[in-house]
Formats: sequence, C-alpha cells, structure tokens
Amino acid sequence: MKKKKASGMERKMSRQYFILVLPGFIIFTIGLIVPLILSLRYSVTSWDGMSAEKVFVGFQNYIDLFHDRNFLDAWWFTIKFTIANTIIQNVVALLFAIALDSGIKAQKFYRAAFFIPCLISAVIVGFVWLKMFSNVLPAINGWLGTNFNFLLFGDSKTVLSGLLIANNWQWIGYWMLIYLAGLQSVPAELYEAARVDGAGPIKRFFNVTIPMLAPAITICVVGITTGSLKVYDLLVSSTKGGPGRASTSVIYQTYATAINGRQYGYGSAMTVTLVLMLLLVALIQVKGLKKKEVQA
Amino acid sequence: MKKKTVSILLAASMLAAMLAGCGGSGDSGKKDAAAGNQENAADDVADDADDTDTEDSADAADDGEEVTLTVLAGQSTTDAGIEDMIDEALAEKYPNITLEWECVDWGNDFQPKMQQYLQSGLPDIMIGKAQDVATYQALGVLGEIDGAYVDRGLDAAKENVTVDGKTYGLVYNALYQGVYYNRALFEENNWDIPKTQEDLQKIIDDCNAKGITPFASHMVDTWSIGNVTMQFMMNDVFNKTPDWGDKFRNGEVSFADSEEMKTAYNYNKLICDNTFPETFSTEQTDCDAKMVAGEAAMKVSGSWSIQNFLDIDESFDFGIFPFPNQTGDSKLIFEPNITVMTSAETEHQDAINKVLDVLTGDQELAVEIYDYTKTASMLKDVTPTFDNPSQTDIDAYAADGNIVDVTLGNNQLVWGGFQEENAKDVAAWLQGQESFEDALAASDGRVDASN
Repeated sequence: MKKKKASGMERKMSRQYFILVLPGFIIFTIGLIVPLILSLRYSVTSWDGMSAEKVFVGFQNYIDLFHDRNFLDAWWFTIKFTIANTIIQNVVALLFAIALDSGIKAQKFYRAAFFIPCLISAVIVGFVWLKMFSNVLPAINGWLGTNFNFLLFGDSKTVLSGLLIANNWQWIGYWMLIYLAGLQSVPAELYEAARVDGAGPIKRFFNVTIPMLAPAITICVVGITTGSLKVYDLLVSSTKGGPGRASTSVIYQTYATAINGRQYGYGSAMTVTLVLMLLLVALIQVKGLKKKEVQA
Repeated sequence: MKKKTVSILLAASMLAAMLAGCGGSGDSGKKDAAAGNQENAADDVADDADDTDTEDSADAADDGEEVTLTVLAGQSTTDAGIEDMIDEALAEKYPNITLEWECVDWGNDFQPKMQQYLQSGLPDIMIGKAQDVATYQALGVLGEIDGAYVDRGLDAAKENVTVDGKTYGLVYNALYQGVYYNRALFEENNWDIPKTQEDLQKIIDDCNAKGITPFASHMVDTWSIGNVTMQFMMNDVFNKTPDWGDKFRNGEVSFADSEEMKTAYNYNKLICDNTFPETFSTEQTDCDAKMVAGEAAMKVSGSWSIQNFLDIDESFDFGIFPFPNQTGDSKLIFEPNITVMTSAETEHQDAINKVLDVLTGDQELAVEIYDYTKTASMLKDVTPTFDNPSQTDIDAYAADGNIVDVTLGNNQLVWGGFQEENAKDVAAWLQGQESFEDALAASDGRVDASN
C-alpha cells in the first residue's frame, strides 16, 4: 500500500513539532540516556572511579550482587520503606482530602499547613526529625514526667518507624492536594444519581468516588512508590544509613560503594538493577491501575 | 517520517554515549601523559627553588596580574572558618592572588569530590589529610611541594607524605587521639591514669558504682566508631605487627583469625556497655556537653573535641592518656591533619608557591589557625597560644617517646570503603543486627577495598 504523501502544510507542522521537541530531547539525552548507557558500560568493568584502567569483567558484578549481604539488606529495607510509605501516604492523604472536601471550616489553613512540609528539602526534614527525636521530644518527656521512647533513630528496631514518620510528615500534604483536586472534579450529578439509586455514603465512596479518583490514585501510587525506592537525602541528614546498616537504602548503599568505596563498576551494577526495578514497578502499576480508570 | 527522524536521533545519541564512554580511555591517556609530565613539572618547581627565590619567578603572579587558584578543602569539624583567615593573610601579602574555595566535609565528601575532579581536572590546591597523599600520589596527579616550604615544617611532618624522596603534602597541623578524661573527677575519686586493661576496668567499675557514666560517646556518628577502632588497632595490632595491613592483603593474617584484631573490635563493646544508653541518638556536641558537665568521666576521642570542650566551658580541666592495650604499653596517637597538596597539572605553580609561602611563613596566621582549631603545630618555631589543659600530658608522652603516628595504620587500611564500612558492621554488631563473627568476616570480605 502506498503511503499518502504529506502536504506542504503537514511537513511544516512536523518541522514545528520537531523543533519544539528538540530542546527537551537534547536535555533528556544528555541528562538521562547518556549516563544510563555509561552506567551500563561501567557496570561490566571493575573500574574504581579514579584510575585509567577499566578492566572488563563481564557479568561478574551482577553475579556478586546476589551474594552481597549488604546489598540484599539494603533492598529489604527499601522494600519495607516503600510498601509502608505507599500504604500510609495514600490512605492518610485520601482521608485528609475527603475531610477537606467536606466543607469544614478553615479549609485553606489546613491545606496550607499540610502542604508546607513538602516545600522543605528532605535534608532539612531529616535534620529536623533527628533533633525532634533526640532532643525535643525527650525534653517534653521530661517536662511531662512521661517515659515514651522517642529515640527512634537510635535503635535498629525502631529506625524504620522514625523514618516513616518523617517522610509521611513531609509528603502527605502533597498527595493530599492531588486527591483533593481529583475529588473536586467528580461531577455532582454522579453522586446525585447514586443517591437517587439508594446508595449510602459508603457505597457512594466505593462505587463513585474511588473509580472517579482512579487517575489520581495512579499518579499517587506510582509517585510514592518510585519516590520511596529512591530514598537517599532523608537518610543522609538523619540516620546516615544506621544504626549500623539498619536504614541503608539501595541508593545509599550504591553511593557508599561506588563513591566512598571506590568500586564504581560494582556500584554501577547496583544502579542498573535499581533502574530496572523502578521501570518494572512503574510499568506494572501503571498498567494495572490504568485498567481501573473510568471517564466521567 | 517523524518517527524515523526520532529513531535516528535516538540511535545517534546512544552511539554518542557509547563513544563518550570509550572516550574515558582517551581522557585517561591524557592523564597518563599528565602523570608523565608531572615529574617535569615537579623538577621545574624544584629547579625554581634551587635557582631563585620563589618571589623572583616570572609568572603572572609576579607581574601583579590577577590569579585565581581553585582550592578543594576537605575539612574536619574543627577546620571550618580557617579559609577566611588564609584569605585575609594572602590578601595582605599577595593581593593579586585569590583563592576560590570549595569546602567540604573530609569524611563524607572529599573522596567523592576528588573522584569527580580526577575526571575533569584537579583544582590547583587540595587540602586533605596526610593519608590522602598515598592514595592520590599513586595516581600521579599530585605535584611535588617545593623544598623551601617543606623545610619550614617539622621533620615528623614529612614522614608519611614523602615518596621516593619527593614530598607531595605539606602537613600543617596535628591532632592527638586517646582517652580524654575529666581531671577533676579523676582527682576527686583518686583514680590514677590507667596503663592496663585491669586498671581501666577498676575505674569503670568505680564509675558505675558511683552513678557516673564511664565513657561519653556518640555512636550515631559511625565515623567515631571507625576512629576509635583505629586507635585500638594502633596499640594492639600495629604496635606488634607494623605491616599488618600488607600481610592482610597477602592473605597471611585476617580479622577473623587475629586475636589482636578481635580484641581491638571488642573494645567497642566495652565502650558501648559503659556509655550513655542513648549513644546511638547522641550527637557529638551533646556528647561533649555531657562530658563537660561531668556526666561522664572519659571520652575516647581526638583533639577535635577540645574545641567543643572549651567552647562549652573554657575552664573545663581535662587531660589525655592512651587507651590501655593488652600489654600495658599503649602510646598516644598522633595524626597529621591539615595537609596541603597541589595539582601536578596546575598552570599557576608560582602563585601556589606564594600561597604555601603565606601558610608556612606567616607565623601570626599559623598561630591564629592553631588557636582556632585547637590543634598542634607542625611548623618549626610556631607554638599555639591557646590554653590546652591536656598539653602537659601530651608533652609527657612526647618526652618519653610514647607517641605513634596513626598514618601508619590509615595508609595500610584506608578510611573510605574500608574502615568506614567496617565501622558500620561494628555498629550493626553492637546493635545486635549481626554477630561478632559476621562483623569480622565482613571486614575480611572487603580486603580488596583496604588499600
């Protein structure tokens, strides 16, 4: 079958689109594609990041990863952190959004109060919560004469809880705004129709609100999951991956290995596995959640 | 057509990326060439020093032309702020030379920054620790320091920064490490300075009986665990086997099989069992404040604590002794700290020499820096004027020859990637996350990263 020849106008339009896409394409290539390919290349070498020699070692780095207890522990911590974050942040953000959408007083104040923490750098958030757990809350304990254990960052058994508190405090307001925007775009007629059909508040929530919020849920779930898998800056200023290795994430371990440990090739292999995992998780989530999306 | 164009562009960018990756070797080649030229550059500097006074050399700096030198400063906690003092002194003597500072934390960021600059070109001046010389000189990227300036330093300053007769680092100050003790508490309780583990245990027991915390510590900072572990190793391992690190790499000894190394690791448990219960949540400043307040009797630390001690209470009276080893012959640890290195490829050697001239020749500046950092001088005829309550102890150990340079251990078992990672395993063991045997095995497992 012969392709229809593009008209002069179409060619002109194509050129315009191409020119518009070009800057983004160049930045994307330089910032993402090139480093990714370089990472792939370094991951099959034993390069230390400094010397001239980049000895090819094939897939040895990838094989070693499966026997590296520290790397596997880092993955285990990251997975726990990601799952807990995804559940807590989605549920709490949605509940907050529903509360704010119900017409309560001082809605703007609450919205701003919940949103402000996400404007702060994660490094600052980590430092703030380190001080909270180490100094401020124990001092309050002293004033009140109570004996709660607030030293959450100081024990390997409680460090995950402490980090979840800090991370959720920072990000719940952000995801809440996305859910709030989704809730406000649900047509009132749908609720009206459901009410006429005899649906109570719970049925309306599960049969109208949730399906209509599906695009927002997709954004929030994918955003929280991939963000949690990449956690690093929060750890740098709060636990430094400790105590011991109890809060070492995959990226933290990768940085420590590639840069401080001068095993750039091995660290690159860690990076490649993380990128693959991120792509896989995002793909599964987007595919799965897209199916559940409905149009108003 | 559009799709075709985009796919061609994508393919081209990937090809470019691959070529860029291969280009690394080209860069490396350039580095090799640079390394080759380094000797010439160093020879030139040496010739300059021999033939003429550095001030007579005819480069831009002499012509009064503005020169900006880039400086990467890997700083310890005590050092932040000395850059302003150096700038001020330099502006007075050589106003045409400007230093463009990049100050980073030595423990966390110096190595990553150097790694980055090794790819893109080193700054003119790098400030690290003496142990960095061994790491970077081996790559052929450091310039030789003019003998005129090296000679202004103490002989002890040259030892670990000189390779094949050439000095690649200018050691500016020194830290002392050991057990800082609250002198008043020791006097009140009639505790003598412990020389053996038994002596130390008696003090610990007495402290516990009297409700005094024996040791102040801040194990939330893994670096502090790494630091004290090296102190323990120096007196229990390296004092018997000075080349333990080399033997470790040759497979002759290991952490798991060495009784001395196990003992050194086990001292961490002794500290952990006799310190604040919240040590894994206590930061250095809080820890030092508790020590000054008399809540703890001792702290295994280094001169960096002096700054905090005296900032909190300038009348705090403290001394220092080496952590007792198994044989009762511990020595106080000495660590060459601020070490100035220069790039072999710099285009401003004479301007660099002028900076070295100010650093080593301006005694007022040197005293100002030593007083501020509360550290010891490594320059001839320069003595800090700050009141260091532990100085009498240091002088006594020095007079008896009971001081050992920790660079011996740090050069054989490097900090980044080895000591630092081992410290994490020690912390994990102390927290019950892994067994003692696992911590030792983990150290053995990273033998390739030890040097």
